[in-house]
Amino acid sequence: MSDITILLDAIGRGEERASADLLPLVYDELRRLAANRMAGQSAGHTLQATALVHEAWLRLGKDEEKKWQDRSHFFRAAAQAMRQILVDRARQKLSLKGGASAKRVSIDDIDLPHADVDDRVLLVDEALSRLEKEDPESARVVTLKFFGGLTNKEVAGILGVTERSVERQWAYARTCLFEMMHKER
Amino acid sequence: MNSHEIEKALFEAARGFDDAETQRAFLEQTCRENDALRTRIERLLTVESEAADFFSVAPVLVPEEAESGNGTQDNASEPARSSAETAPAMVDRYRLLERLGEGGCGVVYLAEQLTPVSRKVALKVIRLGMDTERVIARFELERQALALMNHPNIAQVLDAGATESGRPYFVMELVRGIKITEYCEERSLDIRSRLGLFVQLCLAIQHAHQKGILHRDIKPSNVLVAEEEPGQIGIPKVIDFGIAKAIEGHPATATVSVRGQFIGTPAYMSPEQAGINPHDIDTRSDIYSLGAVFYELLTGRPPFDSEQLANAAPDEMRRILQNHEPLPPSRLLNSIGQNELEAIAVRRQSDPSKLLATLRGDLDWIVMKALEKDRQRRYASASGLAADVERYLNNEPVSARPPSRIYRLQKLVRRNRATFASIAAVSVALIAGLSTSTWLFFKEREVRRQQALLLAEAEKNEKITRAAFLAREGKPGEANALLEQIYSLPQRPSLDGVSAFRAVGDWLALQQKWQEATRRFAFVMHLDELDFWGSVTIDYQAYAVLLVETGDLSTYAHFCRASAARYSKETNGDAASRILKSCLLRPPDAALSTLLQPLAKAAENAFPKSGSKPWAAIPVSLWRYRCGDYRSAAEVALPKEGQSDTSAATATNCAILAMALFHEGKVEEARGNVARAQKIVDAGFARLNVGNGSQGYWFDWLFARELLREATAMIEGNGSQGKATEELQKVR
Repeated sequence: MSDITILLDAIGRGEERASADLLPLVYDELRRLAANRMAGQSAGHTLQATALVHEAWLRLGKDEEKKWQDRSHFFRAAAQAMRQILVDRARQKLSLKGGASAKRVSIDDIDLPHADVDDRVLLVDEALSRLEKEDPESARVVTLKFFGGLTNKEVAGILGVTERSVERQWAYARTCLFEMMHKER
Repeated sequence: MNSHEIEKALFEAARGFDDAETQRAFLEQTCRENDALRTRIERLLTVESEAADFFSVAPVLVPEEAESGNGTQDNASEPARSSAETAPAMVDRYRLLERLGEGGCGVVYLAEQLTPVSRKVALKVIRLGMDTERVIARFELERQALALMNHPNIAQVLDAGATESGRPYFVMELVRGIKITEYCEERSLDIRSRLGLFVQLCLAIQHAHQKGILHRDIKPSNVLVAEEEPGQIGIPKVIDFGIAKAIEGHPATATVSVRGQFIGTPAYMSPEQAGINPHDIDTRSDIYSLGAVFYELLTGRPPFDSEQLANAAPDEMRRILQNHEPLPPSRLLNSIGQNELEAIAVRRQSDPSKLLATLRGDLDWIVMKALEKDRQRRYASASGLAADVERYLNNEPVSARPPSRIYRLQKLVRRNRATFASIAAVSVALIAGLSTSTWLFFKEREVRRQQALLLAEAEKNEKITRAAFLAREGKPGEANALLEQIYSLPQRPSLDGVSAFRAVGDWLALQQKWQEATRRFAFVMHLDELDFWGSVTIDYQAYAVLLVETGDLSTYAHFCRASAARYSKETNGDAASRILKSCLLRPPDAALSTLLQPLAKAAENAFPKSGSKPWAAIPVSLWRYRCGDYRSAAEVALPKEGQSDTSAATATNCAILAMALFHEGKVEEARGNVARAQKIVDAGFARLNVGNGSQGYWFDWLFARELLREATAMIEGNGSQGKATEELQKVR
């Protein structure tokens, strides 16, 4: 944990390489945390992704003292890590189902109201990869909101914009993404 | 600016408009050259709320133990389901179990009601991210509109409230059943049974239309049939008025989203719904969709291929729906393969040739009329459609089809087959025992007589029905030709009859054929005995004035006495006023004026002290005049500032005023008013048409003219009218 703190300080000081190292660290931390939380729990016990992310942040200690840049870097990394974790788990479950699941999930196969969280995660992930190439700004918002589960206010704090601005960007981004998911036939 | 930024900016701006019209105009302006961009933005706007909802479900993690388990496939498939949503939510006393669907501004869940009784219900909550006041108001409107409906074939609203977080919800009857089309196929229902279900469906939609609610997405999956008693045909129920909107409301999005599809199932969508301006929808759009469902019930498939439509681009889809004519059911079945046709026929308890024969003719006509591209040519109401289907079931002539003599004769025979059969049996017996049975001879005559009566009765009713239909079709001349042949009313007259006679009566009156009109209205009066509507008293006015116009004063006197007696307890000011007015075209004798006292009281009570309309003044001023209260009659009849001086009511008031003034000795003023009234009446008669409530119906003009005659005779003539009034004064 202290590694992350050190890294954040380093990033704060402007050390280039430090930010690249942040993501894998955060990823490991989150995975470890998740495993801890989920171990020995019954099937009904679910854990929201955002809860995990926030807990990890809290464990960094001295939350109030952290500068907003640190928050910014951490949460961005955490959201990305969360994306990875969720996608991994979803793929794993899909492969466990065997047979039919080997086929790629497409939005038309899914009865949206009953759509599995895993299916959603995979669909969003795929479409997001495409969106990142065209519109990285929107993609960033999606990652923070959906995978990070952050509120508009938190996202505003992290990106350094107004809450209203986040709301608008999120509306556009998710609509764009949704449309992309549909085009993928 | 790259394309995404432009898009984003436009999207955000367009989103801000609540009003679809302004939004469209905005996009037209900003994307003037660029069709592709505009389509793109429109597309985004369409899917926006879908997207919001999709992303509102947050990703969660599940314990990995549950996944690996014993490593077998069975175990693995189970936990996948448990990862779907978080723990079941509670909303007041309802436990949410499963999400059923979405539409409009809400999501529908399967829920379990816990108290006071435990049962499953459907609960609709306003969607996440849609909490603006405007949306909440719309949701509430929808709930109220749905709560207004009370029909056995429409899913009922049971309860309403708000969640802890303040989101409004309402609870509906849960309908467990299967799609009507599937139901009919699975149970292999024959055509008649299917028609029975369909009629119920139409009447349910009619009920909604009468409450001002359009369904907008009628299709088989929204009409569920639940089997009640084993062995009996189930009851169809219409669900998912969730996307219905009160007719006065303003739909914000052009298309409807249901279960991941963005467009309301195209196969059942009316051409105008697919059109460029889908906001101009009315009840006939629902009728089209009913027609499409009907088509499928008969033939096993909807009029257009769902897949083909869904795969087409919006423009192409529009083109198909608006221009491409579907084959009538019998012709469609004629064109498919023999095997398929047999399969379809079997599921309708029929065989290919019988089925084709059944569909050919009336059923073809009814379906195609409901599916007309031009909505003016469709059935005007769901009940009209139901009525035609019922006529088919009763072997009566169907309105959708222009009747020929042979066609109608066929129907007549078919309907009275039972009677014809028994006649035939008796005839045979007669021939056999002719030499010995005088008794049978008389019986035969009796039977023949009864038969003739029955047929006459049937024909009379038919004529009336037909006349009603013709009148509605705007052919009053033909309708009149039929009604002329009727000299006495059938034993059991129908409401159809009232409207037919009234319509024809109006038409005759407009041609100033007073005698004939009177005869028709005599029947209207008789038929009105059956029913109490506000319009009845309007009929009284028409009849009364016709009697006076044709000089039938003895019938008029009788009519006045009867009406006054009948309505003596009337408390409704308007109705009392109309009757009162109708009875005062001539000075009333003592008996009549006694009868009129309570009506006069009711009319006076209803009369506002200031700012009243001319027509409201007439009964009061006329009554006061007839009673000899000349001054107060004049006061009331005096035209007020800013009132129209071309209406029949004004002319009437002028005539009354003239007479009152004359009695007060103000002869010149009286003359002036007579002249004024004359001018108005002349102009009115010159352009006589059916008229309306404000300028005056044709009978209002007759009324005015009649009083004007009286006034003119009084002022220019021998003043004999004055004597009658004096008589009345003595009595009072």
